[in-house]
Amino acid sequence: MKIVVCIKQVPETTNVKINEQTKNIDRRGLGGVINSYDLNALQTALEIRKKVGGEVITLTMGPDDFAVSLQETLALGADKGVLLSDRAFAGADTLATGYVLGEAIEKMSDVDLVLVGQQSVDADTGQVGPIIAELLQVSQVTYAEKIEARSNELLINRKLDNVEQNITAKLPLLVTVTDKINQPQYTNIVEIAKSFDKPITTWHARDLNLEDSRVGQAGSPTIVRSISEPVEVTKINTRLSDDPVTAAKELVLALKQKNILTEEA
Amino acid sequence: MDQKQTSKEILLRMVKSFTENEVAPYDMEIDQTRSYVNDLLNKIKKYDFLSTMLPKEYGGAGFDGETTAAMINEIARGNASLAVTLEGHFKSIDQIVKYGNKSLQEEYLPQAKSRIIAFSMTEPSGGSNPLGITSHAEHVGNKWIINGDKIMITNGGLAEIYCVLVKTAPKELSFFVVDKDMEGFEFGKRENFLGLTGAPVGEIVMNNIEVDENHLLGKVGMGKEIGDSAHNDARVLMGAVLTGIMEHELNIVTDYATHRKALDTPIIQMQAIQRKIADIAVAKETTKLLYQKAAWLKDHGQDYEEEAAMAKAYGSRSAVKSGDNALQILGGYGYSLDYPVEHLIRDARAMEIAEGTVEKMRTTIALIEAKNRA
Amino acid sequence: MTVLKENWIFAENDLQKNNPVTYQLITKMKQISHDPVVVILIEEIDAKLENELSEYGPDKIITIKDNDLADGDDLEITNALANLIDQKGTPNTLIFPATVVGRSIAPRLQARLRTGLTADCLDLKFEDDLLVQTKPSYGDNIMCEIVIPNHRPQMVTARPNVFSSEKKINPNLKIESISDLQWKKDDQLVIESHVLPVKTTKDIKQAKRVVALGRGSKTEPAINVANDLKNKLHATIGVTRPLTDLDEFNIDDQIGQSGQTIAPDLLVNLGISGAVQYTSGISNAKIIVSANTDANAQIFKYSDYFFVGNATEFAKALEAIL
Repeated sequence: MKIVVCIKQVPETTNVKINEQTKNIDRRGLGGVINSYDLNALQTALEIRKKVGGEVITLTMGPDDFAVSLQETLALGADKGVLLSDRAFAGADTLATGYVLGEAIEKMSDVDLVLVGQQSVDADTGQVGPIIAELLQVSQVTYAEKIEARSNELLINRKLDNVEQNITAKLPLLVTVTDKINQPQYTNIVEIAKSFDKPITTWHARDLNLEDSRVGQAGSPTIVRSISEPVEVTKINTRLSDDPVTAAKELVLALKQKNILTEEA
Repeated sequence: MDQKQTSKEILLRMVKSFTENEVAPYDMEIDQTRSYVNDLLNKIKKYDFLSTMLPKEYGGAGFDGETTAAMINEIARGNASLAVTLEGHFKSIDQIVKYGNKSLQEEYLPQAKSRIIAFSMTEPSGGSNPLGITSHAEHVGNKWIINGDKIMITNGGLAEIYCVLVKTAPKELSFFVVDKDMEGFEFGKRENFLGLTGAPVGEIVMNNIEVDENHLLGKVGMGKEIGDSAHNDARVLMGAVLTGIMEHELNIVTDYATHRKALDTPIIQMQAIQRKIADIAVAKETTKLLYQKAAWLKDHGQDYEEEAAMAKAYGSRSAVKSGDNALQILGGYGYSLDYPVEHLIRDARAMEIAEGTVEKMRTTIALIEAKNRA
Repeated sequence: MTVLKENWIFAENDLQKNNPVTYQLITKMKQISHDPVVVILIEEIDAKLENELSEYGPDKIITIKDNDLADGDDLEITNALANLIDQKGTPNTLIFPATVVGRSIAPRLQARLRTGLTADCLDLKFEDDLLVQTKPSYGDNIMCEIVIPNHRPQMVTARPNVFSSEKKINPNLKIESISDLQWKKDDQLVIESHVLPVKTTKDIKQAKRVVALGRGSKTEPAINVANDLKNKLHATIGVTRPLTDLDEFNIDDQIGQSGQTIAPDLLVNLGISGAVQYTSGISNAKIIVSANTDANAQIFKYSDYFFVGNATEFAKALEAIL
């Protein structure tokens, strides 16, 4: 099975503050790490490869120093890495990012499975996976909690609010995974040195079949107007009636409206 | 891509995440149970921590001294015992790499990936005067027969391979490598030490252990040189352990001082508290710079004895003092066995003694200073 | 491109039941927009989910009655919605709930329509036709204000239970039923769904619902009632420090600074006053309900709903109607 895992490098902590001068997020002293959900996706890919054979390619878009994260995926067991790096890609929102990633996967040809973490821990959107699926015109299964691989299909378990689904999915396919799917392994220390024998390829904009208007800032319909730190929301303290029976009824109604209680209790 | 820098970054990312998830949450439990819970030793082996600085030709990762020390520093933020267990193993590998003959290296270095190696000098008769030891090896044909009793060995009982200091003549000290599976090898008693309780410190007894000639480390009579070399390597890494302990202390006090309020003001706003925290931070950073410099000198083939002694002497004294400051900031919580501060003091205290006392370090430093000016 | 001056809301339903987030989105969009609010509902042929939806006052409900589509996967629903937009025109805004379903379909449709989508919005407002979207990033540590100036529809997913719903009759409500919408089938997936039972867990840190007892409920009858309520709610019992003196509770059940930090969807506090040692362990609870005889109890400040009176009687009344 030819598997592509999309990864993103994110700041090592999400506990960030806004710099008062620049009005931008203060990343001083913050190292990068691989987005944790993407490590779940990579681990899934490695387990599938172990079971049915094949190849695991990791793919990321970002500046050249994201190559460290790709190198880390090779140390974790991926077979090769592809870095999409170009000034033209800067300022991309999820649509423009998904477009470039999708075109890169198209270029790899004959990819059976694309695995993506359910969301990034910095932007928190979870949109890039389905966008890639749409661009590749393949089916998608999001928020997978379990995957069992067979040679040409996957058995996938996922949960919605109150519903559980068991899905039999044919390939090609895109799957986004939750952190419940596995416990990612740590990098083996000796494998770090060995990983330099595996290839990392860099593709620039000219290496892909891209329309300029769909790339980077130009290809991004959303614009971030401003960022701020959240104001502490004080809870609205609603007092229930003094009669316990009436109070209980008011509460149950309110909880049902908030979907905290369903009809089943 | 700079392979060296990238490798270091990947290693430290991994160690940080491992420490946060697998080590730090068990720090108190390790201290209280005096053992590596959470299957830590197997995990350490599984991810090849034992091979960090082992040369690549023996299956290791071949990281340099600076990176290895940074890794020890990171682990010590979570638990100092585990960092010391690795330190003991690494300093032993260092001596086999430096002094071992080819056949000894080929036999034991590949095993260092999964078997801990310990380094053993002290005997009941005393530690600071090596000529007072009674363990000895006798050359019989093309074998050496070793007898003796070694105590206070870091990782004693846990390690499977031991570098032991013995007499090969009345005034001749030499090192040999013995294996716990050899006939005549026995484990003795485990010390009931105050701190670093996760890392066992124990005794081995050797009764007519017979080894081949290639088990001699270096040449006969090189015991003192090899012992000094091991001390130097250990002291660099102890500087890293002590830095980690002080970082742990800083994490605890800054968190406490920002959340604990007196009269509605977080106590971090009070100068008496600020002064203590600042002192811990300066001591931490100073120790870090000292061990980093010592490691850099070592990696670049230069003399690092003095800097290693400074890192250990200054670091151990500072970590104990910082721990005391931290205890004072936390008040009753600091004095409680249910909170981690008190065991950080006990842990740091060990390093004012082990691998040469603070007093001996000062002698070393003073004599080097004098020699440099002679 | 002609843009319909309409706000469309995708109605989520799970196994033939409206997800209440749809009601919340209807109320919110009615509050902030003068343009018609149109609910797009996909349901089985004999379902009547539009009846409940209409109680919240949308201007129009388009029901797509199609048994296959009601069970459709993300790709099929994307295909159908894209065709609907082809047929009807492009709405100015298109809102999805930020649930698993909404967060899966919306980005796929976004890519199809090549427009912008903002995830997980916590607030929405209009500047003329421009929808100003507030979304959290970095695990809710940063808020971003985002707009989509040049593309339509302006798509967002909005987080459930941030807006409250309000019933309101709309005399001008129109319901349009469509039974012949064409959409391309997806043969790649076979989906089998079933309702998930509410799981009870012993581990209070993992519990989705917690009933917590404090000093004010440290009597045998109070504990018995709390246990009955716990069973009805499939909840886990937690306690404050004084109750760990009792044989049946220990530190694993204790919530707060020296005990466990919990993050349930629902926390019911019975007879708890709300000392800092306790409240530091509950800041991640979503909905907090508290009952206490003291009208000035600290715990009420941390509560979404509070009852002043006998906590045991309140718990008994609640248990009775669940």
